[in-house]
Amino acid sequence: MTSKLKFLVATSTATAVLMNAGSAHAAGTLVGTDVQNNVTVDFQVGGVNQTAATASNTFDVDRKVIFTVAEAATTGTTSVSPGQQDAVTTFVVTNTTNDTLDFNLTGAQLSGGTAEHGGTDVFDVANLQVFVDANNNGTYEAGTDTATTIDNLAPDASVRVFVIGDIALTQTNGQVAGVTLTATARNSDGTAITAATDSTANTAGIETIFADSGRDGIETDGDDFTVATANLSVVKYSRVVSDGVSVTNPKAIPGAVVEYCIAVSNGAGAATATNVNISDNLTTVSGVTFQGSFTPATDGTVVNAGTSTCTPGTGTGSYNAGTDTVSGTLTNIAAGQTRTLVFRVTID
Amino acid sequence: MMKILSALIAFCLAVPAFSAPLELASEVFVERVQKRADGSTATVLEAPKLVVPGDQLVFVVRYKNASAQPASKLSVTNPIPRAVAFSGTADGTEIVSVDGGKNWGTLAQLKVPKADGAFRQALPSDVTHVKWNLNQTLAAGSAGKLVFRGVVR
Repeated sequence: MTSKLKFLVATSTATAVLMNAGSAHAAGTLVGTDVQNNVTVDFQVGGVNQTAATASNTFDVDRKVIFTVAEAATTGTTSVSPGQQDAVTTFVVTNTTNDTLDFNLTGAQLSGGTAEHGGTDVFDVANLQVFVDANNNGTYEAGTDTATTIDNLAPDASVRVFVIGDIALTQTNGQVAGVTLTATARNSDGTAITAATDSTANTAGIETIFADSGRDGIETDGDDFTVATANLSVVKYSRVVSDGVSVTNPKAIPGAVVEYCIAVSNGAGAATATNVNISDNLTTVSGVTFQGSFTPATDGTVVNAGTSTCTPGTGTGSYNAGTDTVSGTLTNIAAGQTRTLVFRVTID
Repeated sequence: MMKILSALIAFCLAVPAFSAPLELASEVFVERVQKRADGSTATVLEAPKLVVPGDQLVFVVRYKNASAQPASKLSVTNPIPRAVAFSGTADGTEIVSVDGGKNWGTLAQLKVPKADGAFRQALPSDVTHVKWNLNQTLAAGSAGKLVFRGVVR
């Protein structure tokens, strides 16, 4: 197809009036805009001004389909937890075509290979779905964001698209699931676009060409989910604080005070552990009695693992005499961090 | 398909004895780079059948004194279509306007007001009108052409 080329003959008027020929968009002059060029010549014959000669021509602007699919900022892998439902990664579809278009959307999963952010794809999310961000607030809302295709995206407009999936409870720390979002340009009424190619003969009228990458009206981008789970390890230390006899190096004799330090560590690169509760049932430890004069302390640190020395933290735990159990809740433990529960007993 | 008609004429009266037809035609072409079979490239001018934003356009103004009398003081004025960003003429002898034809000068002489009230140097894309003042007399039957370029916005 082609745009029309018309050579018009305009007459008279020494000052040609410029027709409004579309406005300046990043997407460019809108499709179908008439671009009319007028030229005027003033001249004299025999020293006398003559009526100006004028001429003009007009052509129509055709449709240039160009758009992008990109991961929404902030880019990077999306951390997910085992068992997480509706884990969301967000893309942005931007229409820089000089016409309003619809887009069909397709979500897909990698099967092995390198995912978008460098990890190796080792699992698939369940229940992969694609939804348009209806109110463009950047947050997936299950009841609101229900459209699965983009309707009437104006020139220079962009819209967010969510790719969501469920993470199996069995996934482990560091595992990666790669996903892709593919958008296919459609006419604004939803019908497929028939585009001219370099070998297509031109005809009169408005034509469409694909100017996106690959010149196919299809764009794809990827992102990935990385499982980040806490990786906790627990060590229980004990040291004799005093035995009532020795000045130094107290011994574990009856009546001696022993300090227990339960240290919980989160592995490097793991997700922050929250709601870490510790309970230690002293009925399983024969021959010791909880020392009520020392309040169990949480959130301390291990000063010297070799000598089993811990610093009691500022938090407080509790002792339940009925069950003879010491318990405490630790503040969130970030990757690589250790927190403790410290309490004391006496040897019977 | 495309036909080129010539456009022209419009003049008249004043002094009937001296009235002389000046033929004028405006044409536009799309400049494309084509690959030859041997891998080299050639720049070709095509009729504007397929025109999309970003395309390079070449505007050609042809004029001819079709009368029996010499014409003088030719002044060719061409407003730049809004959808086209001016990028220069072939001969460089033009003057331009960046304010809709109120003030004229070479591009280097013109300034454009900024939002804060200050002025900046005018750019080719600011040009709203281009004009050539031809100093020589155009003899009867002689012709010429003027060429300028633009990009579809």
